Amino acid sequence: MRRGSLDSPARKAHTMLPTRSRISVLVFLLPPLLVYGAAVLFPILQSLVLSFFSWNGIGDMEFVGLANYVHMLTHDDVFWRSFLNALGYLAICLVLQLGGALVVASLLLSLRRGRELVKTLYLLPAVISTVAIAFLFERIYSIDPVGLLNQVLSWVGLGSLERPWLSDVNTVLAAVSAPEGWRFTGLYMLIIYAALLAVPRELEEAAILDGASRWQLFTKIRFPYIRPVWITTTIMATTYGLRGFDIPYLMTNGGPGQSSELVTTYMYKTAFTSTDYGYASTISVFIVAECLVAVGLIVFMLRRKADA
Amino acid sequence: MITHPAPATTPAVRTAAPRPAPAAPRPRRRARPAAYRTLSRLLVVIIVVAQVYPLAWLFITSLRTEQDFASGNPFALPSALTLDNYARAFAVGNLGQNILNSFIVTMGANLLIVVLGMMAAYAIQVLGFRLSKLVRGIFLMGIIVPVQIALVPLFIDYSKIGLLDTYQSMIVPLAGFALPMSVYLFSSFFEYIPRETYEAASLDGAGPYRIFGLITLPLSLNTVVTVVLVNSIFIWNDFIFANTFVLTEGLKTIPLGLQNYIGTMGKTDWTATFAAVCVTVTPLLLVFLVLNKAMIQGLESGATKG
Repeated sequence: MRRGSLDSPARKAHTMLPTRSRISVLVFLLPPLLVYGAAVLFPILQSLVLSFFSWNGIGDMEFVGLANYVHMLTHDDVFWRSFLNALGYLAICLVLQLGGALVVASLLLSLRRGRELVKTLYLLPAVISTVAIAFLFERIYSIDPVGLLNQVLSWVGLGSLERPWLSDVNTVLAAVSAPEGWRFTGLYMLIIYAALLAVPRELEEAAILDGASRWQLFTKIRFPYIRPVWITTTIMATTYGLRGFDIPYLMTNGGPGQSSELVTTYMYKTAFTSTDYGYASTISVFIVAECLVAVGLIVFMLRRKADA
Repeated sequence: MITHPAPATTPAVRTAAPRPAPAAPRPRRRARPAAYRTLSRLLVVIIVVAQVYPLAWLFITSLRTEQDFASGNPFALPSALTLDNYARAFAVGNLGQNILNSFIVTMGANLLIVVLGMMAAYAIQVLGFRLSKLVRGIFLMGIIVPVQIALVPLFIDYSKIGLLDTYQSMIVPLAGFALPMSVYLFSSFFEYIPRETYEAASLDGAGPYRIFGLITLPLSLNTVVTVVLVNSIFIWNDFIFANTFVLTEGLKTIPLGLQNYIGTMGKTDWTATFAAVCVTVTPLLLVFLVLNKAMIQGLESGATKG
């Protein structure tokens, strides 16, 4: 601080070190920026450029202006179908991940012992690869030989619901979404649990003394307190949900028909099966835009509620 | 799977907790929470069983005989235990090679993520510069960028410069997309290193490089563990980059290798497949079980700080 005062005021505010050279900043900053630029920033720009071209990877690139975007938004039924599917997939993931996480985290608070064990067990599915999870759920959903889900249904007297979950067009979307939700509940539960632990005890006790019910305690004290963390986890879960790809791609490859096609799997097939790089880039630009809009909406909605 | 017990909790929370009379809050509050606690304990058990059962079933299936698996109740305990499936799993695929490849990719990407993430956070948070806020923002933006955006451009670039079908083709994007979170975690940790620590070191004549090596690096070992563990899970299991950029058998990582078990002839050898899954999950699972306390703590503090 005392030495820093010799510097310009602007610099004093930025740095924690009394002495540091401009070169040292570059030495530390350039390598990470290079890798980040090469893997993330530059490809984003490339995709943006490619989205205005028609290109099959071999011939000449042909500039088509906004034609790809116009086609995607006005003529491509598969795209819209996959977009609606992606929203359904997202909804199921959010309910399972955030809803499940909040419920389990709240329950965990009332346990005296075994919290660590529950946390570890609950996080376990996050360690398993999506390929393994796809195998596992293929067996859970199967009807011949009868899988876990159909077996449970027939035991509890809901045998009429038994079906091949992955080849039924009405259930396939839910069937490919559930594993993704299941996989990461533990992660979000941990984060929310930690946030709930940080709610000051005095605040809760004061509310109880004032006659607050458990429900009021939750809605009036705990939830407002963890709202910033809730925003973070909602953003995480939403952006992960929107980029969900592995499990639908592996289990059904978007089928039967387009009933479990997501924007991501559609983009992947457009790029690497139809080798339509231009149009695939258009779709991937859409995926990024979708994520940005979603984050904007979440921040807008949850912040506004906090102010109200 | 978890939703079934979930809706029941809201009414339970409501009914189990009538408002205690303000005059005598103590005794009433003792009695009710006991019932509430039993109920929630039961719910936790049900939820955890539903959560973990599929994994237990996977493991049990890997020890069943093929006939036992094909004919019969999926919930039944195996009539006989066998390790044949594991023998077949190793005979069919390239499990050894797949595991080695996954190790190389995970190590390489983690090294980049930790070293580069720490360097960027150090430049932004400790050294500081005029545009540091902007650079930090550019890094943080990466947290929400979906990986799909990079697939086509990287595929094109890689085939131009001959990087397609190499370890680097997986390591670079895996590291690049994980860097934002790493920068975020390191820079939120660096905020907590008091300015006086740096001032004292500076007075002793240490420059930015020595301070990085002698103070910042050793202090952030806990964050390093968190970053490595969390990223290892994602990298070890990465499917999309490997599936896009790897073309030959010899470079296939575990997720791709597992796909070999899906029957090319129409019939899948499920028990061997599950044996292979168990083998490939084991390394990560062991690390996770040994270090899960460190990881859980890191995750909790990392997320709640933000």
